[in-house]
Amino acid sequence: MASATHPTVPPQRAAAPTTGSRVRSGRRIADKVLIVASTIATGIGIVVLGSILLMLIVEGVKGFSPLLFTEPTPGPGSEGGGIANAILGSLVLTLIGIVIATPIGVLAGTYLAEYGRNSKLADIIRFLNDILLSAPSILIGLFVYTLMVKPMGSYSGWAGGVALAIIATPVIVRTTEDMLRLVPSTLREAGAALGAPPSIVIKAITWRAASAGIVTGIILALARIAGETAPLLFTALNNNSWFSANLMGGIPNLPVMIYQFALSPYPNWQQLAWAGALLITVTILALSIVARFVIKSDRAR
Amino acid sequence: MSAEPAIQAAQLTGRHKADENAPIRIAVKDLNFYYGNFHGLKSVNLNFHDRQVTALIGPSGCGKSTLLRTFNRIYSLYPEQRAEGEIMLDGRNILDPKIDLNELRSKIGMVFQKPTPFPMSIYDNVAFGLRLYERLSKADLDIRVEESLRKAALWDEAKDKLKQSGMGLSGGQQQRLCIARTVAQRPEVILFDEPTSALDPISTGRIEELIEQLRSEFTIVIVTHNMQQAARISQFTAFMYLGELVEFGPTTRIFMNPEKRQTQDYITGRFG
Repeated sequence: MASATHPTVPPQRAAAPTTGSRVRSGRRIADKVLIVASTIATGIGIVVLGSILLMLIVEGVKGFSPLLFTEPTPGPGSEGGGIANAILGSLVLTLIGIVIATPIGVLAGTYLAEYGRNSKLADIIRFLNDILLSAPSILIGLFVYTLMVKPMGSYSGWAGGVALAIIATPVIVRTTEDMLRLVPSTLREAGAALGAPPSIVIKAITWRAASAGIVTGIILALARIAGETAPLLFTALNNNSWFSANLMGGIPNLPVMIYQFALSPYPNWQQLAWAGALLITVTILALSIVARFVIKSDRAR
Repeated sequence: MSAEPAIQAAQLTGRHKADENAPIRIAVKDLNFYYGNFHGLKSVNLNFHDRQVTALIGPSGCGKSTLLRTFNRIYSLYPEQRAEGEIMLDGRNILDPKIDLNELRSKIGMVFQKPTPFPMSIYDNVAFGLRLYERLSKADLDIRVEESLRKAALWDEAKDKLKQSGMGLSGGQQQRLCIARTVAQRPEVILFDEPTSALDPISTGRIEELIEQLRSEFTIVIVTHNMQQAARISQFTAFMYLGELVEFGPTTRIFMNPEKRQTQDYITGRFG
């Protein structure tokens, strides 16, 4: 290892001007050590992530079949089955989450960037938003459990959607604010100089200028909540059949399905869990690619 | 770089003749400006004549942009900035808190240093200000957009791509788009804040010609770092230094025969 041969230069000698060449060779070695160390660290990261992904693909593809998208999850001990109900449930929950989170997040981000700016209130909101951003998601599940599931007397898709919305909102607030702050202030001044009140400047100019970034933030929030498990454990729970249109009762969804099926003793359930995990991963990957594409097409404009 | 030569007499003839009898459009009386605790403008008194180009010159930080930004009160977007004193326009003090800012700004247009096209089509850029304060039919709107683009000398280049984004134009075209957008509102005064400092010489020449043409309809105030530009396009020049107005007068006199030593030093390139 390079670090083993690295000679330590005593500080008092390093400071002396006469030992200039020795200091330089010491620095060269330090430089090499850093390159090697960071390359190794990167390699470890790639190997770990790569093997997770590889295993997911190998195991997931084995479980892939058209039945996945048509059959509901099988009961204990029964053969075959798919995950169609969980896919549909996840879509519904994620949709509810993002529909609630988007207007709140975009408007709050707009307040922080355009109206609040450096005011005390804006600082407090920004701080709380950062806390919410890193809050353990299981706490949010418990919070919604006390807020909705207990009073309503039942697990429901609504509770699950709200829990996901609480996860997504701070992400959207943050990106919206950041993207609006990137809009040059001269553009706002130009709008104001034509006699446009702030509301029109925001609606017609700054939102438009930041639209690609804001949409990207929403897509990334979507990717984030698509795979969330913990907030759904206490809210939407799960269920092994189709769900009713009023979304009351347990709503099947991919993350909790994976969690339960992966821990089950039945091989076909485990297989479905792998397939579901691959499906979520591919979805998140696709969303991230779409997000990149949105940003890129905006830069090209 | 060597010191800039004094402006040649040849540059100061003909169209540069100042009309000192032109009515006064903007009268600045005892204007003080503060950025928080910093005293940016100190008791400035100055008149701007109707349909004349007045250039504000001086070294960086002398307050010329600050002065320009008081005329449409654009500084009020920033809460820590404030102005005291009087700026009379059409018999009203525009520093009066009761003034409707949006109405004021529709009467006083502004063109910025960097071109600021809005992220929308060329047509919508020009129509933006019109849609704010006038209820125009589609046909009337079309006419006004064309008229404005013609006045900004952009019509020939833009007429076939009115639906395309204004961001796709070159820098000089974008700046003329911003001028068209401003002209469309038929303001009384147009403020230019170093409008050519981000442009190449050819685009600069076109903008200067344009300013000369616009003078027949509008009162123009232009901030410029470029003394030759001030000499070429303005009828009146105000020289500012450290937040104070040092000297004001017809451009020919300021450049040929300045009264103050500081003005003389600045225009001959001894500092700034």
